[in-house]
Amino acid sequence: MRRWLSWLTLHGYVLAVLAIGLSTLLFLPGRATFAKGQWALLYLLIVVLVAGTSGTGPAILAAILGFLCWNFFFLPPYHTFVIRDPKDWLSLIVFLAVGVVMGIQTGRMRDREARAVAREQETRALNRLTAELVSGSSTEAMAAGVLGELVDLLDVDQATLFVSVGGRLEPVCAAPPCDALAPELVEAAQWVYDHDEPLDPSAERSGGDTLLPLRGQAGVAGVLAAGPHVDGRSFVRNEIRVLEALANVIAVFLERQRLQAAASAAETSREADRLKSSLLSSVSHELKTPLAALTATVSNLLESDVPWNEKSVRRELQAIVSDVTRLNNSITALLDLSRLEAHAWEPRRELYELGDIVAASLDNLPAHERTRVEVSLPDDLPLIDVDFEQWSRVFQNLLENAVVYARGATPVRVGAGVTDGHIEMWVEDEGPGVPADEHEAVFEKFYRGLQTGTRAPSGTGLGLAITREIVREHGGTIAIENVVPHGARFVIRLPEFGIDGAHTPAPDGATKGAQT
Amino acid sequence: MTVPERPTHILVVDDEDQIRRALRSILGSRGYSLQFATTAEEALLKAIDKPPDLVVLDLGLPDRSGIEVCRELRTWMSAPILILSVRSNESDKITALDEGADDYLTKPFSAGELLARVRALLRRAAALTAPPPVVEAGDLVIDIGRRRVTLRGDEVALTPTEFDILAFLARNANLVVTQKMILEHVWGPEWVEDAQTLRVHVSHLRKKIETSTAGPRYIITEPGVGFRLSVPEPANDDAAETRSPD
Repeated sequence: MRRWLSWLTLHGYVLAVLAIGLSTLLFLPGRATFAKGQWALLYLLIVVLVAGTSGTGPAILAAILGFLCWNFFFLPPYHTFVIRDPKDWLSLIVFLAVGVVMGIQTGRMRDREARAVAREQETRALNRLTAELVSGSSTEAMAAGVLGELVDLLDVDQATLFVSVGGRLEPVCAAPPCDALAPELVEAAQWVYDHDEPLDPSAERSGGDTLLPLRGQAGVAGVLAAGPHVDGRSFVRNEIRVLEALANVIAVFLERQRLQAAASAAETSREADRLKSSLLSSVSHELKTPLAALTATVSNLLESDVPWNEKSVRRELQAIVSDVTRLNNSITALLDLSRLEAHAWEPRRELYELGDIVAASLDNLPAHERTRVEVSLPDDLPLIDVDFEQWSRVFQNLLENAVVYARGATPVRVGAGVTDGHIEMWVEDEGPGVPADEHEAVFEKFYRGLQTGTRAPSGTGLGLAITREIVREHGGTIAIENVVPHGARFVIRLPEFGIDGAHTPAPDGATKGAQT
Repeated sequence: MTVPERPTHILVVDDEDQIRRALRSILGSRGYSLQFATTAEEALLKAIDKPPDLVVLDLGLPDRSGIEVCRELRTWMSAPILILSVRSNESDKITALDEGADDYLTKPFSAGELLARVRALLRRAAALTAPPPVVEAGDLVIDIGRRRVTLRGDEVALTPTEFDILAFLARNANLVVTQKMILEHVWGPEWVEDAQTLRVHVSHLRKKIETSTAGPRYIITEPGVGFRLSVPEPANDDAAETRSPD
């Protein structure tokens, strides 16, 4: 019933015919009851009703039909269009004039109201879409929301968004989804992109779709395509206006995305430049200092003005060896970090005893510092699944860090334990500790600490960065805890591999020739 | 200990001038007779021309890889090969060991390390015909013939597998032994992939013979490669060294 009514409202001319026809049938039996002029008033009432529901066109039709019916059925002689009384001519002309004018006026009012309602709906939908566009963080999320709304709002088959990625158009998302995109549509979008001109459904290459270029400051940023209506009719003017408004908002969104990307690229490159220059200054210092010492010592030994005795030559040579070692350590640290960053140093993981690894890292510590280190590991600590070399580098860095920052003869402790499926390993010192707000920063490249009043220890500033990188590659974490009363404890957590070093997983019976 | 009739002959293959100069100084001054090659081709020709007692081979050669040189030399030569590698080509190092190289040194190395390796390799080459029945590593005594191990005079109870691993390391004292070699020798060729088992057995073995949990003294880990039994060198060595008086 309701559908039938709305169909009638939509097809106003049919309603006009029906209304006049039905009311004529209704009026006829009472033709003798009222005067002929009164019937004219009733017909005018019907015209007004038609105008109110169906607008100007149907109202004029109703006025003309009413005029004819009144003349035919209610002005004597009945059932002819002949008019006997000349006064009726005046009435007829007045009826027609009043009917048409009222129809036009009422219809206009009704049209205006309908347009107002439609515009309000559009405005609401646009507001909703704009909100989504503004809040949308990614192009994909924006497209998913906006295109869905668009399909609902305009009652179309499909809506597709094409975005320019490095000069090429790529469908971002479509409603319905992208995988079934017609090649003609892609071609049409490319044409719109290349020519910066919209395509309307009547154009040959459009395939019945409406395609609009999305214009940004840097040229066409993409193309919005909306398919034909579900019922096949073409877009009316206000629907095209909605589409254009939407295209503008999407273009603004894409523009914002582009600017953001450009800004973050600039930020990244600034950061890279900063790193490069601090790398250069830090590295050149670390490489040049031992080199300068070497040059001085060796050239001094070659001078013939002093008679060198064997003892002093030996002392000088010891100094040379220590400079060379320092040089080698700096170069190794640099190469290690670049290998790690380029993912060219994949860990070759095997099962090792932690004590074995710690011992190897101790070997690389200066002999006089080695005695400060107290290693205490539980006997039943499981084997750990790591790259030996990388993991001993981790401990070497942590130990070097500890002996440098905790000066004096204070002990440095290495310990380990197992807690809920993780192996925890730590290096602990009794130095000043690390302020809480620097717990993250100390793992950055070239970070040297902010403490005032202490001399910045020498070093490349790469040790802890390398350490964190290695621990991450192994799927572990590293964190700093402060210890009471003072000191820092670097704790590494690594998922337990699952083989208990205290038990024998493989049968001894597999031994061949046990008693040769 | 016999004095050799001729000085020990070493072929040094390295394309870097500075490294050759350093090796000439370190090895030449200790009485080894040296021959140098700068390319793989030259190395193979010189090795045939005058068969060496030991080859020091750099892995990074300009014409062909050191691994190929290893492989070709091994088709006819039994003299030990010592590989010189840098940290960035570790996997090449392991391949070279699998292809027949006997030990490796990572650059930069000290003169002492190089000489110790050279002596250990020459000693094993000389002893191949008659392996020593007893190996002493400080307080640790490994009697291979009697299958007995003592630590400071006390007998250590080892499982057969643990003993076999230790004995194999002892026969190659001070030389690197790859995991593959141990697995092949102790368990058999079909077990060569089972590195985990080996790791666990070595861990148990260490618990019995090493005195401190904070780092092994005898069985030294060679990262990614295998193990090395550290044995103090005999004071009276039969290498062709003529030590200059200090």
